[in-house]
Amino acid sequence: MLRKNGVVKELYKNRILLLMLLPTLLYFLINNYLPMIGIYYAFVQFDFNYNLFKMDFVGLQNFEFLWKSGKLTELTLNTIGYNIAFLVLVNVLSITVAVLLSEIKGKWFKKVTQSVLFLPYFVSFVILSVIVFNLFNYEQGVLNTVLQQFGAEPVDVYSKPKLWILFIILFYLWKNFGYSMVIYLASITGISEEYYEAAKIDGANIFQRAWHITVPMLKTTFVILLLFALGSIMKGQFDLFYQMVGNNGLLYSTTDILDTYVYRSLRVTFDMGMATAAGVYQSIFGFTLIMIVNAVIRRINKDYALF
Amino acid sequence: MIGKSKKMACLMLVFVLALTLLAACSGNNNGGNNGGSTAEPGDSASPSASAAATEEPTGIDTSKKVELQFYMLGNAPKDLPKIEAEINKMALEDLNATVKFNYTTWTDWDQKYKLLLSTGQDVDLIFTAEWTQYQQYSKKGAFLPLEELLPQAAPKLYEFVPQDMWDAVKIDGHIYTVPATYKEYVTNGFVWREDLRAKYNLPKPVDIKTLEEYLAGIKQNEPTIQPIAIGAGIDMALSDAYLEFYRKVVGPMSYGMIAPYEDPANITSYWGSPEHLEDLKTFKRWADNGYFSKNELNETEGSQDKLANGTAAAMLGDNPTRYNSTLNKMKSVHPDWDLGYHPFGLTNGFATPVHPIHNGFAIPKNSKNAERALAFYEKMVTDKRYNLLTQYGFEGVNYTVENGYYKMVGDANSNGFVREAMNGWAWRNPEFMLFEPSYDNVEKIFSELDKVQKPDIYTGFAEDYTEYQAERAALEQVEKQYLFPLMAGQVADVEAGLATFMEKAKQAGLDKVQEAYKKQWLAYLAERG
Repeated sequence: MLRKNGVVKELYKNRILLLMLLPTLLYFLINNYLPMIGIYYAFVQFDFNYNLFKMDFVGLQNFEFLWKSGKLTELTLNTIGYNIAFLVLVNVLSITVAVLLSEIKGKWFKKVTQSVLFLPYFVSFVILSVIVFNLFNYEQGVLNTVLQQFGAEPVDVYSKPKLWILFIILFYLWKNFGYSMVIYLASITGISEEYYEAAKIDGANIFQRAWHITVPMLKTTFVILLLFALGSIMKGQFDLFYQMVGNNGLLYSTTDILDTYVYRSLRVTFDMGMATAAGVYQSIFGFTLIMIVNAVIRRINKDYALF
Repeated sequence: MIGKSKKMACLMLVFVLALTLLAACSGNNNGGNNGGSTAEPGDSASPSASAAATEEPTGIDTSKKVELQFYMLGNAPKDLPKIEAEINKMALEDLNATVKFNYTTWTDWDQKYKLLLSTGQDVDLIFTAEWTQYQQYSKKGAFLPLEELLPQAAPKLYEFVPQDMWDAVKIDGHIYTVPATYKEYVTNGFVWREDLRAKYNLPKPVDIKTLEEYLAGIKQNEPTIQPIAIGAGIDMALSDAYLEFYRKVVGPMSYGMIAPYEDPANITSYWGSPEHLEDLKTFKRWADNGYFSKNELNETEGSQDKLANGTAAAMLGDNPTRYNSTLNKMKSVHPDWDLGYHPFGLTNGFATPVHPIHNGFAIPKNSKNAERALAFYEKMVTDKRYNLLTQYGFEGVNYTVENGYYKMVGDANSNGFVREAMNGWAWRNPEFMLFEPSYDNVEKIFSELDKVQKPDIYTGFAEDYTEYQAERAALEQVEKQYLFPLMAGQVADVEAGLATFMEKAKQAGLDKVQEAYKKQWLAYLAERG
């Protein structure tokens, strides 16, 4: 009784705040939670004649195609591997560049650099794929034309799967790191000047100031970005892989990720069940991962955890 | 506390940026659950107020005003709103209905098409073809059976389309689509640069041997031109076209099965057979000789474009209409160049006119206004006003008729509605059709092919892959990974490569799929006689 009273009282006390929260709650309910009913599609045989809950329940049959080709492990590893590489490299690179840029005093130079690094973010992968093809094309590509000018043997880049691990990562960095750099740059601006002045008086040089003040202060931002990224670690960069590799089966051993695999497998099939099954697999994996990492972070430092 | 609020502002900015980053990543988490769209009030089957219907010629209840949702693939023409307004004026008078023309664009059209049909959206008319999986969708019950509705809601249309066409589009005994009646050929033929061929005195490519001689000649005399353009879709552009010509197959069957046109019951596995090995070796030879690029699988430019701009000198197979448009495109920039064409049918002795399934319009199961939709579609096909307007635009504004030929006003950029801009292939009416003078060329090819025409016996086949869809999806992957490089000639040892492919395909369940496919095919043949 007393407890219930407490809840009612609490609700009443914060009624204005709660009212203000309502639109957000509704938004999430409608856009993020309600569609989750669709997960059930993964377990039924899709049929145009019935609504979702009247369709035949088929258990895990829809998931079968994922392991039927014996590629699930390879795909999962590829997907995670690339995402970890993206995550680590993008963050390291963007933190480094953000710190460097923040130390630069010339306003004009700083702005130009920032823009130049940020611009690739707006280039579509479709366009990038055309550029890349013109660079590496065996017969008329820029690379081979230059190589032949110097009398070297032309290289067939498109038949060397190992090389593409590097390329894919490079393209991703080129396109995306400017964006997260701006995020870091913004949080660096938020660090109070007083720390730096105090350190300066104590005789710390520019590297010491960056290493002992800026980097630790960026930790919160980094952890948040990390957790967000981990949640979608099973969701590959579909556009990037699809556009760069396309139909070239020679490169699949190192460049095939879950998203491209699912796309290829279901392109000609219209089965809702199988498509949903693939999505559910990715989501469950991502969910588990984010829960674990969050728990670990909470152990280490409660303030940094997401929840 | 200026410092503090500044810090807060910065933190906010960081969060907003981080959130947009997150939002950008999570764009594809829609569970596809738009089901249960609310019932529209304009249910044509409503028993109320049927008195007004008696004087209507269509014999359906049009007492309530409805809006029809019309879906077509591709990009909407610029002047579509004007056309739509004019059509609506007429439709409102004739049928008490208005129509909304929706276009999917070509980007991810297959995904959108799938979603339109499976999420219970309000769609009254939708385009169908064998390449949009009409047969499979029908089999799964995505469309409304029309045989009872047709005589009642669209008697004129029912009369207009010949009975054998209605029979040809039947799936499991039901009519699910209204086929187009315009007869054309979309069979392939060799395309080559006639001016170069004459210049170097090379043979006309009429079979594989002469084609190879032509390619060798081009390679030798014009080293900067790629002798033959294939493109990234190598399965269709190279293998299917080659099979169509060289093995005279009944149609592009799935899962590596082939059956000759002359003896369609003799269905065998092409994959892994000696013939397959022989053909792959041919492709390898072409690649080794440099007839097509080492990186054909990553090609980003269309083959027709390459031909038109002079970077390639031949195509293995293209259909007459597309050949003609490539030729016109080329002529507009390089008037002194020329393209030659030789339909496979002339060498092989038979050509199949397009199957009625190739272009059609169906009514999805979820449609609330099936009768009205059908009546409207009847108008689109049989009423000259509707038909001309939706095929060619406004006369005098978008086009003029000169000596019976179609003539565009202005050019493709300034004209808001070019010929057949609504992609109206399905509602073409041969009686009203207008052609550009250059189309005479195509007509000539068609009339040649008419002499050797034989019916298409493949396209009516509706495969049901419910039993093996997991294997089917897995095979799709194996084919891309192991067979594509083989076809592109990028595997040094063809025999070993083929063995690996077969091993992987068998693992993915090839035998089961082929067995089931064969059974269905034979059953289909038995049913059709």
